[in-house]
Order: sequence, then C-alpha cells, then structure tokens
Amino acid sequence: MSTLVVTQTRFDRALFVAGAWALALVWILPLAYAIWTAIHPSAYETRFVLLAPLTFENFTRAWNAAPFARYFLNTIMLVSMILAAQLILCIHAAFAFARLEFPGKNILFALVLVQLMVMPDILLVRNYATMAQLGLVDTILAIGLPYFASGFAIFLLRQTFKTIPKELDEAARVEGCSLIGLIWRVYVPLAKPTILAFALVSVSHHWNNFIWPLIITSSVETRPLTVGLSIFSTTDSGIEWSVITAATLITSGPLLIGFLLFQRQFVQSFMRAGIK
Amino acid sequence: MTRLMKTRLLAAASIFASAAMLPASASAVDLEFYFPVAVGGDAAGIIERMTSAYMEENPGVNINAIYTGSYADTTTRAITAARGGNAPQLAILLSVDMFALIDEDIILPWDDFVTEAEQESWIGGFYDSFMANSQTGGQTWGIPFQRSTPVMYYNKEAFAAAGLDPETPPATWDELVEIGQQLTLRDANGNVTQWGVRIPSSGFPSWLFTGLVASNGQDGLANDAGTEVYFDTPEVIGALEYLVSLASEHEIMAPGILDWGATPRAFMDGESAIAWTTTGNLTNIRNNAPFDFGVAMLPANVRRGAPTGGGNFYLFEGSSDEQLQAAVDFVKWATAPEQAASWSIDTGYVAPRADTWETDAMRAYAEEVPGALVARDQLAYAVPELSTFEGPRITQIMNDAIAAAIVGDMTPAEAMAAAQNQADAVLAAYR
Repeated sequence: MSTLVVTQTRFDRALFVAGAWALALVWILPLAYAIWTAIHPSAYETRFVLLAPLTFENFTRAWNAAPFARYFLNTIMLVSMILAAQLILCIHAAFAFARLEFPGKNILFALVLVQLMVMPDILLVRNYATMAQLGLVDTILAIGLPYFASGFAIFLLRQTFKTIPKELDEAARVEGCSLIGLIWRVYVPLAKPTILAFALVSVSHHWNNFIWPLIITSSVETRPLTVGLSIFSTTDSGIEWSVITAATLITSGPLLIGFLLFQRQFVQSFMRAGIK
Repeated sequence: MTRLMKTRLLAAASIFASAAMLPASASAVDLEFYFPVAVGGDAAGIIERMTSAYMEENPGVNINAIYTGSYADTTTRAITAARGGNAPQLAILLSVDMFALIDEDIILPWDDFVTEAEQESWIGGFYDSFMANSQTGGQTWGIPFQRSTPVMYYNKEAFAAAGLDPETPPATWDELVEIGQQLTLRDANGNVTQWGVRIPSSGFPSWLFTGLVASNGQDGLANDAGTEVYFDTPEVIGALEYLVSLASEHEIMAPGILDWGATPRAFMDGESAIAWTTTGNLTNIRNNAPFDFGVAMLPANVRRGAPTGGGNFYLFEGSSDEQLQAAVDFVKWATAPEQAASWSIDTGYVAPRADTWETDAMRAYAEEVPGALVARDQLAYAVPELSTFEGPRITQIMNDAIAAAIVGDMTPAEAMAAAQNQADAVLAAYR
C-alpha cells in the first residue's frame, strides 16, 4: 500500500516536472529565436547552422535607426512617474475604501470597479481631447496622466488591506499614530508583496504600451521605446527579422534582466498577492 | 453652421491660439505632417531631410514632420487628433482610406486650393490608375505619393536549373501552372524542396487577389463611389478557383495560408522559385538575394491586370486658409519631378507621375534596376485597390472569404456569395 503511494507520488512528480519543462521550453522558444536571429546575419533567419558566423551588426543598425538612448530615458521617466503616482493615489484610496466609513462609499467603489471593465482604447479620443484642453499634448505627463488613478491598484490594495488584522490597526491608534502614519507604518509594510506584484504589472504594462503614447506625443523628447521599435515593422517591404529581433532585445533587455535578478521576490510576491 | 462661418471661426480661433502661444514667430506658417513608415531603410530620415530641404528654400514655412507608426496607427492618430480639435494639416494615409476619411468629415478636397491650370498640369499629371483611388464624386481627395503595385519576382537560377529560359517568365495563368510544375522540386521521399510559386494569403490577401481578378477581366472589386462591391461575379469566383487550384490541384504552391511578411525571405532562401509581392520589396531583394532574379508583370488570363496600393497625401480640415495653402504648396514641391525621383529611388515606391520618369536621376536608376520599369509599365493595366465606405470591415469580409476558400471550409463560389451578402448588408446604409 505504502509503496503504491510512493510510486504514485513519484509518477505525479515526474509528470509535473515534464509538464513544467515543456511549458518552459514553449515560453523560451520565441526568446531563443530572437537571440539566435539577432546575433547572426540575415541569411540565417530561417536556417539553423550551428557554426553560422556571429555578428553584432544587427544591434548597431537597430540602435542607429532611432534615438534609442533618449527613448530609454523617456520610458524610464514615464514608468517611474506612473508607478509613483499610482502608489501614492491608490494606497490612500484603497485604505479609505478598506477601513474608513463615509457616505457613498459603496457607490464610489463600484465606480472604481467600472473602470476595470472599460477598455482603455475606447477612451483614446476622449483622453486626447482632455489632454488638448489641458495643453498637455506631446508631454510625458500626458502619456501617464490617464493611468494615475488605477482601478486595478485600488481594488487589489483594498482587498489586501482588508486582510490585515484590525488588532494591529487598533494598537497603532492606541499608541497615538495619525491616520497617515497608520497607512505608511502599518498597512504599507504589511502589503509589500502586493505592492511589489502590482509594481511589476504596472511597469511592464507601461513599458510596452504603444498606441496611446504614439498618438499623444510627437517629438523625440517625449516618445517612449515602443514608438522607436515600431519603425521596424515595415509591412510594405517585408520584415527584416534580424534587425527587428535585435531591436526587441535592446528595448526589452532591461526589463528581462530586472526580472531575472529579482525573480525570486517577484514569484513569491505573486504567490502571496494572489495575482496569477 | 455654414461652411463659411465655420472656416471664419476656425481661422479666428487659430489666429487667437497662435497669437497667444507664439507671438514671436507670428509671420511663419506652422504645419504638422503625419507620416507612416512601411518600408525598410531610413524612410523616416528621408522624409525629414525632405522637409528640412523645403524649409531652407521657404523660410516662411515651418513643417513639423511627425512619424506616426504604421498606416493603421497613423489613421488612428489622425482621426483621434482631428476629433480632439487638433488635426494636422497633412498626413500620408492609405489611398483606400479615402471614403472613411470623407465619412469622418475631416479631410478637404485639393481642388479648391489649385488653379485651373494646375488642375491640368499638376493633378492631371499623375497616372490615371493612381488617381482611381484618389478621386470620387468629381473631386480630388488624395495626392499619390508612396504608391506601389504587386509584381512577380522569379529566381533565374532556378529557371535555368529546370531547363527553362531565365528571360521568359510566365505571361499567362496557364504558363504559370506549366512553369510552376517544372519548378516544383521534390526529394526522394516526395517532400517538396522548392515550390513553383508563392502568392501570400495573410496580411492583405485581398490586394494580391485584386490582381488575379483584374487579369480575369474585372476592373477592381468595387464601384467608384465606394457603395457597391462585386464579389460574386464569375470573374471573381474564377480568380479564386485559380488561386485555390495552385495548391490543391496543381500542387505548385504550398498549401494553407502563406504569410505575407515571410514571403521575401522564402523567395531569397529558395523555398519558392516565383513569388508575388509588392514593388516595395525590390530594394530588399536586390540587396539580399544570393542569386540572379527577374521581375515580371503579373500573368494574364483574359488580359493583364494588377491593383495599385500605398499611400496618398491628405489635406485636413480645421486649419487657417494660409496654413492649408502652405500645405498644398509643400505637396506640390514634394511631388515635383526632382523630389519624387529621389523619393522613389530611395524607398522603392513607384514614381506616380510620368514627368518623374523623364528626370536624369530616374533614367539612370531605371537602367540600373530594370525591375522598376516593370512596375511602371504595369500601371497601364492597373485597377484600383478595394476601397469602399466602411473599408476595413469590407476588406476583412473579403479576406475571411479568401481564407475560407484556401483552407477548404467553403468552395470559392460559396465563399464569394457569402462575402457579397455580408458586404451588401454593411454598405446598404451608404446607398
């Protein structure tokens, strides 16, 4: 009986590992293709020859095709601005929805949830008109502004704050902690895994966002990396995979490296925060 | 509100706005110009050099050329900006978007800004086949600029290896099948190592398909007003049957949906001995094909035929008359022989006017790249690309029907009948 259980668990385990490897391989395949294509001349785009000549030229060509250095700076400014604004706004809003009582609370929260249902693309024209009225067209602020009050972040943090034991809250209040102090000294430290997980989602989303930045910006000083990347999608003349993969690696490189470095923390915080 | 009042109000508003914002450069005319990039190389850089050359010659004009992604992205941006009250003066958008832009009421006809003599000498100077997608209801809405047409590329070495004359590409549908069969090579196990022909069917299949329809004797898939489509005629069904038979019956083309973007690579890697794709690929294939290749017109059935494609200059509503006139002057300059020649040589687009081909630069180029002349000569047989109101939806209906016939879900006749019904339902509102 016990041996049967042992073999069964072993068998389960083998299946599990095989499944994990299969999924990992499928996941890594596009990336592996991108790396292979980027470091070889274009003649080897669709042919696998182990000893094909290596080249760095694709990266040089991609880098010189657009002002990527400036675009990197813009993207980094953009994602850090959005994340900072989202955290400050949404932590306070989430706390209010989780722990404070005020009239219209449920209706307001329902409105925040409605935001999750609306596709951002539908709002392109409205958002553009608003930015034009504010005189913000062609600024980095205009790219980020519509995303500051994130319904997703408010919802996520509210749920997390609700799980924090009331006793901790009360103890801090008895000690004479102010409301703001309570948020930043008790709630935020306890919600760290959720905040980290949200930060990752937010940064990668805005790092990759394309159509809104393209529409609202016009100049090199404000445009993010994705706009630079798009000049390689040349449908009329056939796509040069070697250059486009090199450019993709350049633009997604920092995110990939960051993820690999902090992978353990990210995975753990995702498990705890329950975002899958 | 009457049109005059609207123009006056807008003019007043723009004077007010520019006075408030830029009192120093009140005398200079500021223009915004959106352009997409759809070819490789440094197309964005070429446009910027062009605008700065113009600004040097014309110090009173300040052109801000803004790269705006693909054609689809540029259209999205132009419509968004126009609805947000911030339209550009100029944009290069697909010629087939003409009806959509008229429907949105955001573009202006060019005719009001040119003299009668210029109607003749300037607008009249473009090839008629390019103007077919640029004029409707007696007015000119688009000025041809980055225009293209599909041609047939063939591998001369593969021709020679199969014992065919490398200087005689297939000129008819039957010859394409016959030559394709000789070019299709199989290994000992019966696996194909080289296909005879490749007509891509993803991306924008309706475009190449219009070429087959034209060679089968029908001038395009829609009427000039953009309100009627002709999808279920014997010519169209016959063209689709021929396309399907290349893979299913004659087995000279790979079965299934063939990717558009991978087509030049498949041709250059020797996977297909003949490939249909745009003239926009000429520079790419010339630089990268490891063998000698030829360029030919699309083969004929009852006659020769090919669609035109690519982008036009559009003039947007919502600017002062002074800005609009300056925008028109810039476009006149950009389409003048010298400029158009260097644009065509740098990008591979077909020069849209006969006088461009008479410049020295263009003559030298044609001598060096005879393929460019094939595209020009094919214009004599060209028909307009599928362009209607609700264009993207109608094109999607056509593309889905072509795909359904290729993968065998429907017979060509069924697919086209269904497409006609769906398209009629969409277009009923515009009749």
